[in-house]
This record gives sequence, structure tokens and C-alpha cells, in this order.
Amino acid sequence: MSAAAAKLARQDGMTIAGAKREPTQAETEASRLGLRLTLPAQILVLFIALFPLLMQLYISLTDWSPLSGVGWWRAGELWNSFANYTDLVSDKRFWGAIWRTAIVMAVCVPAEFLLGLALATLFADNFPGKRVFYSILLMPMMVVPAVAGYMFFMLFQSGGPVNDILSVFVGGPVTIAWLSDPTLALAAVMIADIWQWTPLMFLILLAGLVGVPEDQMKAATLLGANSWQRFTTIVLPKMKTIIIIALAIRVIENFKIFDTLYIMTGGGPGVATETISVYIYKVTTQDLIWGYVAAIALAILIVLSIAAVFAMKRMAAAREA
Amino acid sequence: MTDLLRMSRRRLLASGGKAAGLVAVAGIAPSFIRPGRAYAADALAPGMIGGPTGFEGAERYQYGADTPEGRAIEAIKEMKGAGKAPERIVLGLSDGSIGQLTQPFPAGAPSIKELWEKETGITLEIVGVPNGQEFTKTMQDISTSGGAYDIYAVEWNRLGDLAETGGIVNLDDFVAAHQPEWDDPERGYVNGAKGVSLLNQYRGSTYGVSLDGDFQTWVYRTDLFNDEAEKKAFSDKHGYELAPPRTWKQLDEVAAFFHRPDKGLFGSTDLRNQGWGYTNWYQRYVSMGSPNQFLFADDGSPLINSEAGVAATAEYIASLAHHSPDAISWGWPEQYGNFAGGGAAMTCAFSNLPKFLDNPGNEGSKVTGKIGSMLPPGREVDGNLVRRSVLWLNLSASVSTQAKNPEACYLLLQWLGSSRIYAWMTANPGGYFDPFRLSDFADPLVRQTYHGYHMDVVRETVARTVPTINYPGATAFHNALDENLVAALTKSKTPEQAMADTETEWKKISRRTGEEKLLEAIRSNKEAWPTVLDPISG
Amino acid sequence: MKRSLPFEIFRYAAIFLALAVALVPILWMLSMAFKPIPEWSATGEALTWWPQNPTLDNFRFVFGESTSNLIVALDRTALKPILSSLLSAIFGTAIAMSAGTAAAYGLSRFGSGQNLPLALIQLRLFPPMAVMIPVMIMWAFLGLIDTWWGLALIYGIVTLPFAFWLMKTFFDDMPREIEEAALVEGCSRLRVFTRITLPMMRAPLASAALFVFILNWSDYLIALLLTTREWVTIPVYMASLSSSMTGQLYGAKAALGLIAAVPPVIMGIAIQRHLVRGLTFGALKQ
Repeated sequence: MSAAAAKLARQDGMTIAGAKREPTQAETEASRLGLRLTLPAQILVLFIALFPLLMQLYISLTDWSPLSGVGWWRAGELWNSFANYTDLVSDKRFWGAIWRTAIVMAVCVPAEFLLGLALATLFADNFPGKRVFYSILLMPMMVVPAVAGYMFFMLFQSGGPVNDILSVFVGGPVTIAWLSDPTLALAAVMIADIWQWTPLMFLILLAGLVGVPEDQMKAATLLGANSWQRFTTIVLPKMKTIIIIALAIRVIENFKIFDTLYIMTGGGPGVATETISVYIYKVTTQDLIWGYVAAIALAILIVLSIAAVFAMKRMAAAREA
Repeated sequence: MTDLLRMSRRRLLASGGKAAGLVAVAGIAPSFIRPGRAYAADALAPGMIGGPTGFEGAERYQYGADTPEGRAIEAIKEMKGAGKAPERIVLGLSDGSIGQLTQPFPAGAPSIKELWEKETGITLEIVGVPNGQEFTKTMQDISTSGGAYDIYAVEWNRLGDLAETGGIVNLDDFVAAHQPEWDDPERGYVNGAKGVSLLNQYRGSTYGVSLDGDFQTWVYRTDLFNDEAEKKAFSDKHGYELAPPRTWKQLDEVAAFFHRPDKGLFGSTDLRNQGWGYTNWYQRYVSMGSPNQFLFADDGSPLINSEAGVAATAEYIASLAHHSPDAISWGWPEQYGNFAGGGAAMTCAFSNLPKFLDNPGNEGSKVTGKIGSMLPPGREVDGNLVRRSVLWLNLSASVSTQAKNPEACYLLLQWLGSSRIYAWMTANPGGYFDPFRLSDFADPLVRQTYHGYHMDVVRETVARTVPTINYPGATAFHNALDENLVAALTKSKTPEQAMADTETEWKKISRRTGEEKLLEAIRSNKEAWPTVLDPISG
Repeated sequence: MKRSLPFEIFRYAAIFLALAVALVPILWMLSMAFKPIPEWSATGEALTWWPQNPTLDNFRFVFGESTSNLIVALDRTALKPILSSLLSAIFGTAIAMSAGTAAAYGLSRFGSGQNLPLALIQLRLFPPMAVMIPVMIMWAFLGLIDTWWGLALIYGIVTLPFAFWLMKTFFDDMPREIEEAALVEGCSRLRVFTRITLPMMRAPLASAALFVFILNWSDYLIALLLTTREWVTIPVYMASLSSSMTGQLYGAKAALGLIAAVPPVIMGIAIQRHLVRGLTFGALKQ
């Protein structure tokens, strides 16, 4: 038996049941190249997933904290079974943080989407100044979020520019203390997020919009469809995938909201703007109950995995439609 | 020199030609406008083995062989001779404090770093840590065995937490061997051995060396308080003279009187934000009893869910009325910025506020020459006035167990934290380390930077200062209190609810920390509480 | 398509409103960067929109030149943090783009790595904060704390999902005729990928890389936890810009913020045309 044939036979033995016919030379080359190409990504994923997962799993079952005086590998000495997980169920602050994260997402993502879509429709065809306006509108997403945080902190001071602008409309001095009021502080951090990320929605949606085939639009116009009908029957269905991509990107990123928010309010006043990332940051760096943090992390991981599987299925379905 | 002339003329005009303005300018400005790097003749006073040279009065900071500084240097030299000394020592330090070690002061002097390196041959590498991140960075280094620093500088009341991690070295043997004399009655810590125990020790052992004096001190604007029109308007309204308030009631009235937000003036800007504001609640709370209203009873049960706790909280919330509307989101950088801009009549801050803001070199400050200091307001209890301030933050340095040569690190700290070098360092306007040793308050150079008027008040404030919680779990205890106070400030909880919830949390934390450990710590913490009472009328 | 005059008026009105909203914070930063200290204040009557006495002091200050009105001295200038941000973001982007592009091609053409789409979505969904404890311990163990290459590695990993997903969409929708023709002519598949596919994908690659770069450049949280001094990035460095003399050094922060905005803006403008094309590529031409 020649070496090549032996190789092929081995390959054959490894193929999944059901693949009856011999793979051709070309197919072997292809699958080997495929493996090689995906290898670096696989290694990176494994690298960042394996140790953290195992370590978190281990310490999440203990009372270990850096204050314990023993290294994490000896966390077993502080075994507490599932106490961290049962604590989590009744941790009001944790659920409050989840709830606020949900509120922020429920407000910001739709607002960014609608504003982005509205702007995109205004930019769909050519008009004088389009390129300049377009460049300017994209600028907020280029500003480093931490910098945006400092700027918005100043903008929202009671004697700051936002109130100064409002006072023009009201006709008298406005001294709203945005960041000192629980509700307004949440509004302020949401405004900052919407300011920064509407441009991304706009960018993606405009890209989708200009991709709608011109001839279909013309045909529809000839058939007597008005612009709203054209929009709902041709544009939106054609943009379905891109809309899902745009929403998915923002949902994923918004869920983790931290930088701008943390610099503006530090999660305060009180816990009024404490989202899940800020909450974890605080328990990690201040309370230092790392076993508990690990339990939180794993709980989130499980929930997110379910969400991810679900989202993947929806996206696959959307792409096929 | 033209810069200086121009400045002094402007200051002269600004202060209405008062002599005080001129003296301040002539006395202090040149020192840091032109920090000369040149060493003057390298001559130590007779009998001295080391210390700074090259400026007038340098001999005050020089030391003989039989001083804590001298012993530290000699021990290092011996180590060096035996070939056991490290090449360098890495000191983690908050960003804002580095200048005091690296900038020469006064003109003609070497920097602290230069002097140390010259005398010992050991490189002193200073690694900046962002302000407010000290504890986080230290915990990171300990828990990941990072080994980025040989010495950590962290808030003093985390000493218990740090000691429990095993990440910092027990310094008892070194203290016994090298005699730092921290309890020296003339040059040592306020309250002698008790003060040492409070700042440097945890459960009877030394784990830290204090490098700071963050006794929260009240200041007010002399230009406003001395204004005739203001005085008249005030006494017409309240029936007593406008003066630095002696009681909380007076403070609130004076603050309300000056509160003119439309004119850019707030009554008071003592902090109300998360992480810092509760220090001002402390002052109102602990002065509720005579000599003190404690946080915990001797049996470890919390005392805050009481009439005193609720009343202090209610007052604390009510006082928001004469603060900036943004008070709940302002930290000290905003507070200092606001006070520098002339935006408030009074404030309570670190003792270094006048050093930075009543400072002709600080062109950004509009209050130079217009700051006065006052004792903390108090309450009348049992025929006396109970005035209390609070010790908070206060960096103290500890040796990492990852340090290659802990003894050399300790010796550096003994040298740095002893009276001669420390006074010279704290006088340097380049950073945040504040005076805390008895000898500091009388030191001419310190009094020049911090101002004589202020140092006298600080010394008296120190005698009336209660420590914050420094038992294990300190961070968790404070966070629980803090969160509930902010909830009360934002009206999401009533004062009663806030105190009741804090009590519940505190009980939980006590259980988790271990009650026995705690009782011992509570008792030794209480020993450091002040007993000074003032007469009701002064 | 012809639009009516009222529509044009409405369009310009709406766009100008949007421009104003987008620009106010940026102009505020711009103006702040040129303001001397007395004009920084955001309290009460002191509010000024434009610098009354414009100055370059804030820029000089962050680069370490001592300036007359900021007597606070910096013990380190913004140069090293800028370098750190650049190195970590560029190399992080390189890691993410090379691993991501290769994997996307492998999956799109040969069906390899079926687990990757889900694994990478999970990776990106997961708040980095929640895994920072083990990551800090790993990085310390590997000696990667406070190094730009340590940052680049974690950046490469956390932005890998975006590189992968964007590139996969592009590959999926790229017509395969040319590749097949090349195969018939006897090219190896690897050669087809490197010599034919990649050059054709220049524009999408550029837009994906820009996107990934902006994400890396923007990071604050990870650098906050993984750097201590030598290689802190711009946003972390910025936090140290406050002093007892003046409070927060807003002017210096704004000056540095402006500088930080430069690389993404330049890159964005340079490949603006591809940006649109790149992001439309996948989803629409079917």
C-alpha cells in the first residue's frame, strides 16, 4: 500500500458515518486547509475560555477572596458548596443591576435604531453636502468612550452646557442636577450612549439602504406604490439581515455598557446607574468577594449561552428567508 | 523675576493691598516658581551624618547617627557592606503624591529621591498609581502574585484587610531592631503609642508606616466672613455675629445665608458623593454623644440605627439645600476646583486645601489670601461642646511579601516616615502627603506651605478627630453605610430606613468577618477616639 | 429620484439638527482643549462656550512642558500612553484580523470549525469584567501584566468575534466563480486564498479592520485592570489628570481626548468609501 493510499484510508476511517464514498484528493486538501485556517482562532478561543472557565467554576464553590490569605488554588479550603449560587438568587443588588441593564438596553438600542434608520433614509439619495454631513455624523463613534464620559460629565453639570442650552428654550435659568438625581442620571448615561452609537446604526443601515436595488424601487413606483409602501414592502424586507446584524451588534455591546457610564456616574448616585458590568466591577475591586463574582460570571455565561444559541437560530433563519 | 513682580502686583491689587497678601507672596512663591536644582555647598551641620543641604534651615532636616533616620541609613550601609542590599526598591504611590519625592524643595535642595539614592546607593523607583485606585492595584498585585511593587501605599484603614491577605509583611521585628521612635512625645505621633497603634498597627502588630495626615479640616472664606455688609445682614437676620460656626446649627445657618447659586456661590461644598460624602455624615453622627457617639457597642452591635443615627442622617440630607445641586456627583477634584474658583463660602477637606489653593503660585485659584481655617462644628451635650472631625483615607505604606528584601524596604519607610525627613517632605507643595507628626505642626517650612493659621487649627482638629472603621471588613462596612446614605440623599430611602438597612448589612458583615476578630479590633479602635470637650461659649 | 422642495427643506432641517447634536459634545471638547484654567469651570455664571483667551497650554502640559498656569508637574507625559494605545490597538487588530479572516474563510469555503460561530458570539456577548479575575491571574502568570503585547493579545481575542463575523459575511457572499476558475487552472486552494481572494477583499478587510481598531482603541476597562504604569493606555492615563490645585484637569483631558480622536477619524475618512461598500457586501447582494 502506498503512503498516499494509507493516508487516504486513515482519513476515510475518520470521516463521519454516512459518508460512504472516498473523498477526492481535492476534498482532502480542502478540509485540511480549512482546519489549518481555523486553527489560530480555535486556539485563541480555547486559551481564553478553558482556564478561566475551570478556575471560575472551582472558586465559585468557595468563599475564596484575595483577602483569604491563601492562593486561589487552595480555595478548596474555603468550600461552601453552592452558597454563592443561593446567595445570588436573593441578591437584590444583582437583580437590580440586571434590571437596569435591561432598561438601558430597551431604551438605547431602539432609540439608536430608529434615529439611525431615520437619518439613513434622509441620506439614501444624493444631495449637496452629503459627504461632509456624513463624515461629521460619524464622528461621535470615533470619540474614545472614556473621553466621552468626561465630556458628558461636564455637559450634565447643573451649571453646564446642557442646562445652558435648555435655558434658551425655557427662557429662564435651568439648574437641573442631572447626575445627582437617580432617574435623570440614568437618562443622562442613556443619552450619552445614544449620542455615541447612533452613528454606527446610521452607518450600517445606510449601507443596507443604498444596497436596495434601484430597479425594484422604480418598478414599484411605476406600479403606483407610495414611498411608505415602497419602504415597508421592498426596503425593509431587503434590509432584514442587515437590520438584524446592526441590532445584534448594539445589543451585544450595550449589554456590557461600562466606560462612559462609569466615568460619568460611577454607577451612582447610590446604585441608580449600576449596570451589570459596573456591579461586577465594584464587587471585584471593592468587596473583593471573588468566589461570589465567579458564581455571577458563570450564571451570566449560562444565560448568555442560551441567548446566543437562540439568536444564532434566528439569524440563520433570517438569512435563509 | 519679572513674573514674580507681575504676580505680586496682581495679588496686591486683588487682596486690596493687605500686608498679609504680600508676605505670603514673598514668603512662598519663589520656592516653587524656581525650584533650583543646583546643590549648594554639600555641608552637613556638625554631628550630622545625613540629610538635605543647600537651603536655609536645612540643618533642621539633618540627622545624627542616633536618630531613626540615622539608624535606617546606617543599617542600609551595613547591609550594603555585606552585599545584601537590593539594587532598587519599587514604591507604588498615588500619582498626586509623587512630586513630593521627586521635585526638589525648597530652592537649592535635592529631591527626597535624590537624597535617598545619594546616601544609600539604592535606586528608588516610584510607580504611579491613579488616585483612588491604590487599594485595587494593591489587591491585584497580591492576588495575582504580580510582584510589581516592593512597597504599597494604601488607605490606612485597609491595613486590617491587607494584613489578613498575607500580602504584607509583619514589621514587628524590624521595628524592634531599628527603633523608629514613632511615639516620641515631642516629635512623634499625636496621642503617642495610641496614635501609633491606630495608624500603623493591626491586632497589636505593625503592618504599616503612616505617610499622611488626612484629618478632615474645615475652611472658610475670610473675604466673605469679614465683609461688613455681610456681617450686618447676617446679624440682622439671625441675631448673632457672623463668625466661623461653632455648632452644626450655626454652620447650617451660615451656609444657608451665603448660599447664592445664581451668583455662583454655594453655602458649603463639603462632600456628599458616594465614596467620600459619608465622612461628613460621620462628623455629624459622632458628635451626637459625649465624649463620642460610637458606631458599635463594646459587644459589637451596631449603634447607628438609633435616634442619633436618624437625626444625623436627616441633618445630613437637609444640608444638601445649601450645597451645589451637583453635590451628589462631586468628588474632591470638583470640590477643590469649585472652591478655587471662589464657588463656596465653606468646605471641609483634606488639610492640604490651603496649601494648594491659598497659594500665589496657583494662578487658577481665586481664593489666594482669602482662606481661613476653623475647628469642626459641634453639639452641646451635657454642658459641653463636642466637636469632632474624622480621619479618612490617609495613605500608609506597607512592605509587600513579594519584596526581595523586606528589611531594606522597611528601612526606607522608617527613614521617610521619621520626623526630620517627613517634615521636609510634607512641606513640599508637590504632592498630597500631609503633616501628622507633632513636629510637623511647628516646622517653619511646613507652616510656610500650609500656612501658620491653618497648622494651628489642624493641630487642634487632630485632637478632636475620630478614626473611621479600620477593622477587617472595613471596606464592606463603609460601602454598606455609604450606599444607604446616598439612597437617603436621593430620597430613595427615608433616614430611618437607611439606618435600619445599614444595621442589617453590618450585622451580616460582622458574621462573615468573624465576630471575635472584630470585637478585639473595635476595642482597640475605640481607644483612639478623642476625649477633648470644648466649653459651650468661647 | 426627484424630491419635492418641502422634503428638501425638511431634510436639511433634520440633518442640521442631527449635526448640532452630534457636534455639541465634540465642540465642547475642542473648546475646552484650548481654554486656560479660569475658563474650565462648569459652575454657574462662569460658563463660556468659546475660549476667551485661547491657549495651547493644555497640549504643552500633557507633553510635559511646564506651563505657567498649571504648576502641577506631570511625572510622565502622554507620549508613552499614546504609543501604548497605538501599539496595543494595532497589534490587537492584526491578531483579530488574521485569525478571524483565516477562520472565516475556512468556515465559509470548507465548512471547518463549525463550533466557531457560536463560541465567538458567546465570547463577545460575555462582559469582559466577569472574566477579568482569571485573566488577571493568567496574565500575571505569563508576565503579560503592564505590557503592550499583553494588551494586544487580549484585544485580539475580544475583538476576534467581530473580525470573524464581518469577514465571514463577506466571504459567504463573494461570488465564487473566479476562485473556481483559478482552481481549474491548477492553483492550490491556499494560493487561491492568498493570491486571489484576499486581494479582492481589500475593501471589506479594510473596513472590518477599522471597526476592530476603533473597538480596541476605545477600550478603558481592560487596560485599567491589566496595566499599571509603563504601558497604560490613553484612557487610563487620562484618569490621572487631576490635581489639588485645580481639581480635574479638564483642559488637559480634552486636549488628550482630541488627540485620541485623531487616528480613528483619519482612518475613517481615508476608507470611508470602502466602509459603506464593505458593510453592504454581505447582507444585500443575493
